[in-house]
Amino acid sequence: MGDFTYLLISGLSLGSLYALMALGLVIVYGILRLVNFAYGEYIMVAGYTLFLLSPSPLPWLVMAVVAAVMAAVMSYLTERIAFRPVREKSLTAMLITSFAVSTLLQNAALLFVSPRARVVPTPGIFSETVIIAGNVTPVREILAIVVSVALLIGFSILLRKTILGIALRAAADKFTMTRMLGVPANLVISAAFVISGLLAGIVAIFWLGRTGSVTPGIGLTPLLVAFVSTVIGGMRSLSGAVVGGYVLAFVTIIFNNLLPGDLYEFREAFIFTIVILILLFRPEGLVRGRG
Amino acid sequence: MSNIRVTVRRRATAAFAQGIAFGMGILTAGAFGAPTAAAQEELFIGGALSLTGIQAPLDEPTLRGAQVAVEALNEEGGILGKQIRFVNLDGKSDPATVGNVAVQLIEQGADMIVAPCDFDFGGPASRAAQNAGLVGISTCASSPLYGSAALGDKQFTASMWNTTMGAAAAEYAFKEKGWKTAYVVTDTFIDYTVTLSRYFIEHFENLGGTVIREDKYTQGAQDFSAQLNRIQNLDEKPDVIFISSYMPDLGTIIRSIREIGIETPIMGGDSYDDTGLFAALGEAHGNDIWFVTHTYMKEGVAPGMADFLEKYEEVHGEAPDTSFTAMGWDTVMIMAKAAEKAGSTDGDKMADAMEEMTFDLLSGKLDYSSAEEGHYPYKEGALVELQNGETSFIGWMKPTNPPAP
Repeated sequence: MGDFTYLLISGLSLGSLYALMALGLVIVYGILRLVNFAYGEYIMVAGYTLFLLSPSPLPWLVMAVVAAVMAAVMSYLTERIAFRPVREKSLTAMLITSFAVSTLLQNAALLFVSPRARVVPTPGIFSETVIIAGNVTPVREILAIVVSVALLIGFSILLRKTILGIALRAAADKFTMTRMLGVPANLVISAAFVISGLLAGIVAIFWLGRTGSVTPGIGLTPLLVAFVSTVIGGMRSLSGAVVGGYVLAFVTIIFNNLLPGDLYEFREAFIFTIVILILLFRPEGLVRGRG
Repeated sequence: MSNIRVTVRRRATAAFAQGIAFGMGILTAGAFGAPTAAAQEELFIGGALSLTGIQAPLDEPTLRGAQVAVEALNEEGGILGKQIRFVNLDGKSDPATVGNVAVQLIEQGADMIVAPCDFDFGGPASRAAQNAGLVGISTCASSPLYGSAALGDKQFTASMWNTTMGAAAAEYAFKEKGWKTAYVVTDTFIDYTVTLSRYFIEHFENLGGTVIREDKYTQGAQDFSAQLNRIQNLDEKPDVIFISSYMPDLGTIIRSIREIGIETPIMGGDSYDDTGLFAALGEAHGNDIWFVTHTYMKEGVAPGMADFLEKYEEVHGEAPDTSFTAMGWDTVMIMAKAAEKAGSTDGDKMADAMEEMTFDLLSGKLDYSSAEEGHYPYKEGALVELQNGETSFIGWMKPTNPPAP
């Protein structure tokens, strides 16, 4: 029983972060059909913001909010400066641009900060633990679950009840039709990027809290995780991204715990075999979107 | 009108692109010394150190140290009466790129090659040097594969091998600390992390200790919960946990262990020698950690250390924050002394000189075995302790009868 709760909490905590990452990636994909490869760099930006703010006397919560907002601002700026000028050209142009933005941001961190790990401040509560069903569990993991679930609920209310949300969903469904009905394209796209960046920023707080440090290449794993989650869950569905995130996290955690030592080295092979199996039976992902 | 606007915009884009290219240029070229073409009176040292990617945290400090050594040598007249030109091209933590930039440097006339701080990432640079008949030295690769057997008779590493590093850790744990049982976590990422654990286990068991279990981890997995669960549920608590991993995940692993209240001493190798790790662990988690590394940045630890610290600060405007900087200095100094002794930069002559000589370095005394014996680097490890997030130097450690590679 203890082992089961441990698996459950680890899976939920990792899955919540994966789900948020995937959601941030898919919200832009849904509208522009663009896989934003600079997405992981928003996490890096949030991390370096925390690092730069760490000498200041601000309370941690304020720093965290500023960091998440900075990620959203960076996401907005990349859309405005990099993606908008090439949006009309072709999807390939945007894809290449997203690689360029990613490289540019990483190199900026290398040049202006350092290739070596820099410390991000973490609050005391991140290091505290509670005992659940006989297992010592970091409070940070519980917080990650609570914050993510609250965000997911808030986000789904936003999508269902507000005009912006309805416009976003409509744009994700049939972008051209939505524009014809008078919804301003630029506004919807900018909003999608801001939300995407904000999600990355919030994920960054918990993701970096695990290590306590940030490096220029920190965004790669979250980007891959988000990408694989969206593929599993369904590239055209927002709820699919969330489902994909949790599925990937649980598959990972289960293999981590159950594979015997010698097979552990091939963990990735096992995980991706499952991913391939899912895609064989559900080529469009677990959740089928419309359009 | 619109035409003009288009041109202006194109120009702005072009300028922007140039700006980017310039920025990348700084990253990739990083030339030190006179930027002129190789002339007769110049001696050209080529570096393939990685300034980007996962290897950068280790290679960047060695590059800084090497730059200080080149400046210091040039002030005193260079090597063989020639001024040294040192150019590093970014190997980008990609073995293929490392090999390519080494070939490029050799084509530009490099006389010797400084290879990255790892066998998997640095080996290709040494292979290129070997093919061109040049001496190649890795700044701090500690895999026992880094030597003449795998790479060729003109290839060396300035570091001790993992046989020494792992055994020094085991000997300190067993003999000095009296720890009898160990739990080992091995990152299966690269040869360095795998062999370090292997030699720790071998020596610890030879001394009479018991290894409860060797658990595996993979760099980049970012999830240590399964391994943590196994440590928590052990029937018998180990005296020490030996973790052979790499930054950035090393930080995650140690934090996860300390966070849930496991206070067991932790030991490891030179990948711990990173201020980023100490700061990330902080006062709360940076306790009871010991590691074997190359040297320690403090006067009196090795002859010439005070001089190095002063010169480093002159060149870079700040004190060195990791002992890896000394490995860059040592690598260049080995090259300088070997070339002086051989009286030439010829690869064969230099390699012969290196096999005969004993080097007195910032990272201790170094003796190489012959090429037939693999260029085994006879060296001591430096033991460093981390308490309350602060390091202190314990001393030099030369294990008796370290395992054979």
